[in-house]
Amino acid sequence: MKILIADDDRLSRKLLEKILQRAGYDVIAVENGRQAAEQLCEQDGPRLALLDWMMPELDGPGVCRVVRRHRKLSYVHMILLTSKESKEDVIQGLQSGADDYLIKPCDPEELEARLRTGQRILQLEDKLVEAREDMRFNATHDTLTGLFNRRVILDLLGRELARTQREQGCTSILMGDVDYFKKVNDTYGHMVGDEVLMEIARRLLASVRSYDFVGRYGGEEFLIVLNSCAGSFALARAEEIRKSVAQGPVQTSRGLVAVTVSFGVLSSKDWGARTVEDLLRETDAALYSSKAGGRNCCKVAKPNVVLQGTVAPPLASPGRTR
Amino acid sequence: MQKTAQNTSGLAFSFVELLDRVENDHELLRDLLVIFKQDYPRHLLSLKGAVFCSGMKQVQASSHALKGMLSNLAMARAADAAADLEQMGRNGEGAGLKEALAHFEQEIADLMPVVDSYLEGARR
Repeated sequence: MKILIADDDRLSRKLLEKILQRAGYDVIAVENGRQAAEQLCEQDGPRLALLDWMMPELDGPGVCRVVRRHRKLSYVHMILLTSKESKEDVIQGLQSGADDYLIKPCDPEELEARLRTGQRILQLEDKLVEAREDMRFNATHDTLTGLFNRRVILDLLGRELARTQREQGCTSILMGDVDYFKKVNDTYGHMVGDEVLMEIARRLLASVRSYDFVGRYGGEEFLIVLNSCAGSFALARAEEIRKSVAQGPVQTSRGLVAVTVSFGVLSSKDWGARTVEDLLRETDAALYSSKAGGRNCCKVAKPNVVLQGTVAPPLASPGRTR
Repeated sequence: MQKTAQNTSGLAFSFVELLDRVENDHELLRDLLVIFKQDYPRHLLSLKGAVFCSGMKQVQASSHALKGMLSNLAMARAADAAADLEQMGRNGEGAGLKEALAHFEQEIADLMPVVDSYLEGARR
């Protein structure tokens, strides 16, 4: 593990460096507080630090304050080294953001024990961060496919449409539905159905750009947001994505299963200032046309009224066999 | 080496404590003493300059630096003398400063033969 030693005294640095190297640490030694703060504020900088209290340019408590202010992503365990022993000094040091302090000269065994405590705290912090990230992922992603869940993809779509409108650009929306998915479930079982959905999700993700969004909209429905994709390209992009899904049968635990997806396509520029719900309704209608037109194809939603601020009458979306 | 340690015990620094601190690493001990010999004259010069022109902040800073080095080397008496100077610098006590400096220099002078003797022994 990397550890930073900051001490303007060459002798003290040498002594600490040797003790810590023996204890298996990867030591970085600097001679003033400014250098220490720079190292510790780096994204992959050391997460353990021994800081002399009195140093040129920036003292130990000053380093602690800078690090606490600027390094937000991962916690740094900082120990102040001091010959100051008064209660006021200790309080001042800890209030600056230090986690611990050691009276100089340090006893090697005590130093190593304190550092082990620091490491335990960092490990605990890592576990908490990991747990938080897992929860965040689970709250925003579909557990089966790993795609954005319905809430998030709709939120992203809303943001993207607002941005597009502000910048007078264009966002394209693709709504896809797996053809005859019920038949897959009925024939092979739901486990295989899940395997098919996972593979389709993978193919969809592989066929879009890194800045496009793909989400699971419903059971076997997917929503794709093509950012800054002009209307003239939307259909061609949708066709490419459709073909990438249909490129070959999906290998499942029950053998190969052929899959295709039908798409409804909508380009926001042609639709004025409609709400997200309006646009989704129109995209869904286009998807219905694809289903009605034989499936495994893409149909573009056609706007009735394009005036800014007008609301198109809702299109009835009759029930259909997906 | 052991002989040197015995000779120095009871004098100006605890050789046993120092060896314990460096975990019996004589090579490291030699390096530390070399650093001490190289670095302390600069701090001492700075301290003397500050004492004679009553630069109390500098008295505090230089004596603090010397105290740190001496403490690390278990040179307790000289470290205490440096701590007295640091305290005087912190409190802005000009009176008795020159005497305190003379006392400190004497402590350092007492240490040097022991340090030189160790380094000489380490060279052989």
